[in-house]
Amino acid sequence: MRFFLLIVSAAVLLSCRSEHKDPNDGLALDSGTTSSYRIETVVPELNNPWGMTWLPDGAMLITEKSGELIHFKDGKKTQIKDTPDIYVRGQGGFLDVVLHPNYKTNGWIYFTHASSEGGGEGGNTKLIRAKLDGDRLTNIESLYKATPNTTKGQHFGSRIAFDKEGYLYFSVGDRGNRDVNPQDIGRDGGKIYRLHDDGRIPADNPFVGVSGAKEAVYSYGHRNPQGMDLHPITGEIWTHEHGPKGGDEVNIIKKGANYGWPVISYGVNYSGTSFTDLTEKEGMEQPVHYWVPSIAPCGMAFVTGDKFPAWKNQLLVGSLKFNYVELLKLDGNKVVGREKIADGIGRVRNVRVGPNGYIYIALEGQGIVRLLPN
Amino acid sequence: MKKLLLIATVFASLVACKSDQKEENDQSSGVKLGGQKTSASKADLKASMERGEEVYTSLCVACHMGNGQGVKGAFPPLDGSNWLTEKRAESIHSVKYGQQGEIVVNGETYNGVMAPLGLSDQEVADVLNYVMNSWSNTQDKMVTVEEVKAVTK
Repeated sequence: MRFFLLIVSAAVLLSCRSEHKDPNDGLALDSGTTSSYRIETVVPELNNPWGMTWLPDGAMLITEKSGELIHFKDGKKTQIKDTPDIYVRGQGGFLDVVLHPNYKTNGWIYFTHASSEGGGEGGNTKLIRAKLDGDRLTNIESLYKATPNTTKGQHFGSRIAFDKEGYLYFSVGDRGNRDVNPQDIGRDGGKIYRLHDDGRIPADNPFVGVSGAKEAVYSYGHRNPQGMDLHPITGEIWTHEHGPKGGDEVNIIKKGANYGWPVISYGVNYSGTSFTDLTEKEGMEQPVHYWVPSIAPCGMAFVTGDKFPAWKNQLLVGSLKFNYVELLKLDGNKVVGREKIADGIGRVRNVRVGPNGYIYIALEGQGIVRLLPN
Repeated sequence: MKKLLLIATVFASLVACKSDQKEENDQSSGVKLGGQKTSASKADLKASMERGEEVYTSLCVACHMGNGQGVKGAFPPLDGSNWLTEKRAESIHSVKYGQQGEIVVNGETYNGVMAPLGLSDQEVADVLNYVMNSWSNTQDKMVTVEEVKAVTK
């Protein structure tokens, strides 16, 4: 009997192994590099540079989590005035900044930030757009405010990206309400949203007309996505999200899809106890890649441009926890290799590729550096 | 199985005895003014720790972990941390204003960043009371709002 049990459990284990991917796809993190680069400081002395983008004249716009918006050009920092009121608590603050794809003609800049707007104590994530007039932010328009407010300090998200058709996507984390928000399409939190550039809800959003649904929701079952970018070839929106202890994920966002949090996960509670036995379930998406242990991913960018040909169209992910940038080598939508870049650089809050093709890395407590090919 | 039950029963009765005893002691000391003060501050500490636990699971646990062990080389431990016992003002300061730069905890050097958390003085006191009295940690002196207020940038 005992022998039989042993065989059964061995079989179960084996079948699990073949069905589930190994942690990190069984891929070792390679510290040898396939592109030679050097690192130089671009913007010194920043506290927590959460978001960054580039204006057509080459100036950078940088959000500081503490609530400031910084314009940086020719070595000079200018603090932009008339910025919105930011709710600063825990992981919440001034978050992402992205330009409209037609910024040159319409001047719109998009931001996400934690906001205490609306009723109740605390805050939640808000999406706005505004224009820059000299050193002032003008024409601020509220496009979406997640509810309810809560004093929970974790999981605000948030990143913003436009797709090739001009739809805007942004993320809101589960706001520390794991068992309530992510699986309920009638509630904010733990979602990727899709909007028109003026905040209108697209008529073909997946939950339009569904009773009680938040119609801006595009996908759900997320934990805390702090990385998002448009795949330069397929045009799909890719995200990554923090798992708890283990189980950070990279996902490709599909319309109406459920990414499973917290029903399925490759992670466990911070205490080490388990909250689910499931790593997969019908009707729930599997990640493209997952990390065990967690690297605490923040910021994400596909390598575009011609400065790093060996890395072109591959995926960069910042690690808050282990102070490096991870290059995920892709074959189509499959991760086939992992490479460690800028090892020991510091707590990586964001990684972007500038319009000039250089790789920019934003570091907590330091500033912004960039990689230049040798 | 029987044996186990027996052991459990004996253990349960022992525990019951112990707590009975404690209550008695509390009652007798409660007669004195000092004793009342002690039991009141015990309740205060318990309430503060409960509020602090909520703050901890919301803001601290992702880096310092549920067991307070942190992550070796990245985030310093809180359980058994010499900082909490030897550097009380610095501990309050770091929770109140954030922490940046090189610090040595239990003989190991950390050079990280903890962004300012945006906590009220009450929450700073609560989360410190939770941390200072959880896992293997104990502290005689409770952190008060007044003490947190007194720590300035």
